[in-house]
Amino acid sequence: MSVPRATAAVSEQWVGGPFGDSRFKYFLIAPALFIMLSIALFPLINLLVVSFQGISIIAENKSFHGILNYQRLAGDSRMWKSLLHTVGLLLVALPIELIFGMAMALLFVDKMRGRQIFVALLVLPMVIAPIVAGATWRLMFDNQFGPINQIIGWFAGRDVTIVWLADSSFVWPAILATEVWHSTPFMFIILLAGLAGVDRSQIESAQIDGASAARIFFKIILPAIRPVLAVAILIRALDLFRIFDIIWALTRGGPGTVTETISTFTFVKAFEQFDTSFAAAVAITVVLILTAVTIYALRRIEIAR
Amino acid sequence: MKFRLGLGSVVVTLLLSAAGPPALAQNAADTAVEAAKKFSGTTLNLLWQAGLQANDPLVFSGPLFEELTGVKINVVEVPLTEMFSKILIEHRARTGSFDVMPATPAWLPDLIEAGALEPLDDFVDQFGYREEFADIAPVYRVMGEYKGQIYAFQDDGDVLINYYRKDLFADESNKSEFKAKFGYDLAPPTTWEQFSQISQFFTEKFAPDLYGSARINAPGLVHYVFQERFRNDGGKFFDADAMKAQINDDVGVATLQAMIDEHRFMPPGVEAWGPIEVLSAWMAGDLAMMGWWPPPGRWSAGYGTEVEALAWLPKSTVAGKVGYALPPGGAPELAAGFVLGVSSSSKNKELAYLFIQWMNSKDISLQRTMLPFALRDPFRTSHFRSDEYKALWPAAPEYLETLEAAANAGLADLSIRSTAAYEDALTRAISAAFGGTGVKEALDTAAGEWDALTKQIGLETQKSSYLEWASKSNAYPR
Repeated sequence: MSVPRATAAVSEQWVGGPFGDSRFKYFLIAPALFIMLSIALFPLINLLVVSFQGISIIAENKSFHGILNYQRLAGDSRMWKSLLHTVGLLLVALPIELIFGMAMALLFVDKMRGRQIFVALLVLPMVIAPIVAGATWRLMFDNQFGPINQIIGWFAGRDVTIVWLADSSFVWPAILATEVWHSTPFMFIILLAGLAGVDRSQIESAQIDGASAARIFFKIILPAIRPVLAVAILIRALDLFRIFDIIWALTRGGPGTVTETISTFTFVKAFEQFDTSFAAAVAITVVLILTAVTIYALRRIEIAR
Repeated sequence: MKFRLGLGSVVVTLLLSAAGPPALAQNAADTAVEAAKKFSGTTLNLLWQAGLQANDPLVFSGPLFEELTGVKINVVEVPLTEMFSKILIEHRARTGSFDVMPATPAWLPDLIEAGALEPLDDFVDQFGYREEFADIAPVYRVMGEYKGQIYAFQDDGDVLINYYRKDLFADESNKSEFKAKFGYDLAPPTTWEQFSQISQFFTEKFAPDLYGSARINAPGLVHYVFQERFRNDGGKFFDADAMKAQINDDVGVATLQAMIDEHRFMPPGVEAWGPIEVLSAWMAGDLAMMGWWPPPGRWSAGYGTEVEALAWLPKSTVAGKVGYALPPGGAPELAAGFVLGVSSSSKNKELAYLFIQWMNSKDISLQRTMLPFALRDPFRTSHFRSDEYKALWPAAPEYLETLEAAANAGLADLSIRSTAAYEDALTRAISAAFGGTGVKEALDTAAGEWDALTKQIGLETQKSSYLEWASKSNAYPR
């Protein structure tokens, strides 16, 4: 087949010219690569460098300090407690959000009257900024004027003064309620999308064969939405690991350090106490943990291939 | 603008007063204005606390200075919790974004050692400010000094005083019942034991309609209460030789335990109350006593509360019934009162200095402390004795007398290197103890953190900083 002269000229220009094929593809991705490097890799490298320096409120010491900050970090019980709190919240909140999200998705996957309105209303918490959600729930939990104590008081038949956000016994349930309220809609909407893609004929066949609802759920629905489910869990797990806004708005990590998470701890160290290099070491450690967990999770759910 | 119009009557009155006929002898304000005229057309950038505080440069001092000198004042509002970070970050980035900035005394060692603040002594001499500087109450005057140099001018007489209901304390049945129960006369408390008993008396008699007292327990602020009581009870923050923290000693434990025990006689949930909750309860007449900064002394008398900027404030039900006293112990906390400084990275240092000299001068600062909406409180001897101020409401002379007594006996906040980290550890200990952790355990943890911080900063560095602070007359009760 002969190539028209004009087309051949153009091909030659791109293949053999200054923007040869191999170079041209790099030219195309260069802007995106530059942006990625600017906003992700360069700051990460800088963070790594700072973590080996001695920058603090006392001095801007940029000389090499070896692993001093990492040694400090290893012996900092407050840091490890905040990490423990973070993991604890993740392990409790994630299953609750998953179960609630799944239940809501199963409820609304079938067509029903007013479904769109209900779905829209249920998704509303997700569109509220976490810091606003935290501030709002702070008012809800106010022991004087908040509706939560009032509602409990109606059931109890007397005035109830639970100091939700200053009492170690009640502060975690308050945080958990806020977090579940705010984030379950995400789980719901993702799972709803997953359920919508399940082959209805398989479910109908199983029903005709007399399979129970539980069996249908575990043997047909769950395997079918497994990739979607895994991604939803992974995203939420990462979100929960870096939870900041809600905790900050509700308790700032208090009372004491009872509700301090790794993000609030890092923030306090970096931006309130200017323990910059130490905070950088904490951040690098968190990045390493998250990277390892993410790689492991992606391999497990087989979507990284 | 509706807001500006709402403030109009107050501002116009003060502007006319402040910009009236020039004094015969040139005072510090006039000197500053004359010298600043050569900078006409320049813009000065002010960092200022967001909210009510910013109304001062936005509505009063900024426009007035521009009118007098042609220098434009640009106000950048930043929340209090972010001001220190903002100042330090901007300084380290060498942005030169701000010419003038307020700071709390506790931030000064870090800001000065970082080189963020310009020393002012040469300017003070050049523009003849020594005499008016000396009028600042002694306890406040030393706040902006560091290692023998002036870095900032005290600009706000923040001090925690005790407010009490005169009508309740004067009530004959209350007096006789109280004396029968506790064996002494009902009067503003001079010890924390008396405070607790008076609080108990009113709560047991009137709750839930009225409680004996309430306290600001919010994280970030409650440590001021602890600092005051701890030192009034004889506590020292550090052993000055070894620089070992002593907040967990017997005095510290007793102080924090007493604070917790007093909650029984305060409104339910007071453990989580911040300034607004306490103020609201006070204005509503729900408390017999409270500790707060000076503004409620004006507001609860009804002074200036009609301006729109204070529309959020609950209307006072206690006007004419409010008494002012020093808190138990007699040495109140000078909690976080602002000082005014010049940024070392300012491109207009001389002009920035002239502006703060003008703001801080006798004449202008009096006008500013009389603004009902700007949260600046009297801090000069001349303020405390001002006839103009005394005429603002019937009990104003008594109010100023109490503020002067408080200024004379006041205790400066702990101000050493990295104070924020020490305050943070102390605050967490207090809130943990409020939340159920044992008092000794909580304070031991905080003391451990203090020692670790000292070690990290450097024992000698911190010792030098502490001794510098402790050498001031307002560090411990005199």
